Amino acid sequence: MSELALSALPDLSGVSVRQQSATKRILKRITPFLFVAPALILVLFWVYRPLVQTFGLSTQMWNMNPNVEPVSVGLQNFQYIFTHPDFAQAVWNTLLYILLMLPFSVILPMAIAIATNRLGSRAKNIYRAIFFLPMIMPPVACSAVWRWLMHPINGLFNHVLTSMGVVTEGIRFLSDENWVLLSIVLIAGWKMIGFSTLMFSAGLTGIDPSYYEAASVDGHKKWYQTLTITLPLLSPTIMLMLMMSVLMTAQWTFAYIDVLTQGGPAGASTNVYYLLWTYGFKNFNSGLSSAAAVVFFIGFGILALIFTRINRKVAFYDN
Amino acid sequence: MKKKKIVALLAAAAMFVTMGTGCMTTKATDGTGSESGNGKTEITFYTYNLSVASHKEAAQKLIDDFNAQSDTVHVTGVAADVMSLQTKIQSDYAAGQTFDVVQCALNQVGYYVENYKLPSFEDVAGQDAFDAHMEGFAENAKTLGQYSDGKTYVLPYTFSTPMLYYNADLFRKAGLDPDAPIETWEDVKKCGTALKAAGYEGVQVTATTATGDYDWLIQAMIYSNGGDVMNADHTEVTFNDPNTVGAIQTWQDLVKSGAHTNYTDTEAQEAFLAGNQGMLVTPSAFESGLISAAESGGWELRAVGFPSFGEKEAIPTNSGSGLCIMSSDPEKQKAAWEFIKYVTSAEGYTTITSMMGYLPLRPAIVDDEKYLKSWAEEHPFVRTNLSQLNRLHRWEGFPGMNGGQISTLLNQTVTKCIFSDCDVAAEMQTLQDQAQDLMP
Repeated sequence: MSELALSALPDLSGVSVRQQSATKRILKRITPFLFVAPALILVLFWVYRPLVQTFGLSTQMWNMNPNVEPVSVGLQNFQYIFTHPDFAQAVWNTLLYILLMLPFSVILPMAIAIATNRLGSRAKNIYRAIFFLPMIMPPVACSAVWRWLMHPINGLFNHVLTSMGVVTEGIRFLSDENWVLLSIVLIAGWKMIGFSTLMFSAGLTGIDPSYYEAASVDGHKKWYQTLTITLPLLSPTIMLMLMMSVLMTAQWTFAYIDVLTQGGPAGASTNVYYLLWTYGFKNFNSGLSSAAAVVFFIGFGILALIFTRINRKVAFYDN
Repeated sequence: MKKKKIVALLAAAAMFVTMGTGCMTTKATDGTGSESGNGKTEITFYTYNLSVASHKEAAQKLIDDFNAQSDTVHVTGVAADVMSLQTKIQSDYAAGQTFDVVQCALNQVGYYVENYKLPSFEDVAGQDAFDAHMEGFAENAKTLGQYSDGKTYVLPYTFSTPMLYYNADLFRKAGLDPDAPIETWEDVKKCGTALKAAGYEGVQVTATTATGDYDWLIQAMIYSNGGDVMNADHTEVTFNDPNTVGAIQTWQDLVKSGAHTNYTDTEAQEAFLAGNQGMLVTPSAFESGLISAAESGGWELRAVGFPSFGEKEAIPTNSGSGLCIMSSDPEKQKAAWEFIKYVTSAEGYTTITSMMGYLPLRPAIVDDEKYLKSWAEEHPFVRTNLSQLNRLHRWEGFPGMNGGQISTLLNQTVTKCIFSDCDVAAEMQTLQDQAQDLMP
């Protein structure tokens, strides 16, 4: 960052350096840092300071009440989360969420983006608007609509399924422990398709059309062009969406879990962030919540590192 | 190229951050009351009734009526979300932006007193004025807001007991007699099974999810079977007590037999409102919604008291809330007392009971022509509900910093037990061990 800012300065090598006082020189040096300082200070204050505090809180027992002194408990909080089953269940559920979310965040959107890419601009915009619409609807309102659709007896889904004879008794989408996770994924996925499609469409726009022209001249079929031109050149977007999906699925599903199931039945739909939130803001146990947060921070950090490594190997940039 | 991206990202991050702080400052100014132009003391009232569709009108009416008759105080209502009420109160308090009068859950009195530096009503109003106001207040409700020092810090306000509501038309369609008494869980099971056999849904005790993960209705099940959640001096939890376990086993059996649905509580409520579910055990707080659904759906709503376990007397707990004063400014505390006095007066309870469905905590007003007599004749449920007040058990909050964690665990374990065929005794023993660890 500093290099970039410095290189943006006028070249001073021609000016006699000796004539400048030491303070001036220092000032010149720190000017670029002063430019980024407001942003940097805010990020430090709002992101890194709480991060450090979280580590501190994870060794204490405190209910976040300013009148109450935190009690230092060492590693007890970590011991609690590793010995209690709700933590393991939340981690397992999160893995399932991540896996099941991938079709909605990567595969389907990519297919949609590629399929609509060569349409006329008006048709393309209409299609993409349709897919993007769910993205701009408020999650709580969506949840209410989905709850009605998925209602075990009054819902449209079960009405269709029973009248077609697929099931004899309505599926309890949100209260059957075998269904609830899938249902949440379906809702969160439906919402994410729009955003991902947009990302993939943007990625496609960046591909130079002359590659396709050349391939057409060479007589290659459309599917072959997709396989050999589109996919490799789209790889940075694919990797980005893959990483976002893995790291953020737990956040994307949070609102629906909170509104529709509160993590239930009996923890079957909870995920790491919901658990963390329950510890911290329902039970006011900031120690447990922070300890869990520290564990997730390390876990997701490792995942992010692995992704950047893979990204360097796999993604192909066309400059 | 890459570096430009980083700078752009940082800029974007900075923007988000400033946006965030912007929101927070506006919130803070909303939260503080101030002297208004006409010399009245301005106070804020944080209440979840304003965010419940079927309560909103009545909650606003209480505030408007008070403002219209008071020359010295002006109240502004602020809607709170019932599901995250405690979360909001705590985070507002931690952020130093509390409201002057706050509606809070009644199991938390100890927690509030120990953590929020509340003034007692005896101190704010003066002992004599307070005693005079409490004249005619339901005996069993009076003490619910008291702390161990004998002073009242939370005044019971909107308050209900669980009732069994049923759809008399569905009963007839299922070949059941809606006039036959439904007194025990055995009766409930019989009716539920018959309803199920006729293609409808049976009962649901909306105790696990609908109430924002609270555990008060679970506690009512446990007390009614002679069980308990804690020992007398609140040092040990008693989830492995045979009667506690027995209550959950009976409940599990209801579900297994098909008489009890295994929906989320919200789904069961919706099914009942739509006229597909025969019975619903739910706090009378939802009554106004049930009545209007029955009217528009054209079916007959009836209600009986909380069912009992065989010969044992049913022991309902209280859902609901009290009011506490969170302002530390003496002038605002006095103003808050004026408002609280009004909403818990005979007039206040007339609005609360007739428009929301909560209990009139001044029971005499149901016989008073001036207040609720004519209304009570049209709504006989209110007397059933009032009679339960005599057997009321306090909704206990678990002590210590991990008290909330124990409630959550209790709720989760009970949900797991009743909606699966697991070994209840074993699950409750696991809960016992986990929860005991969390006791102070």
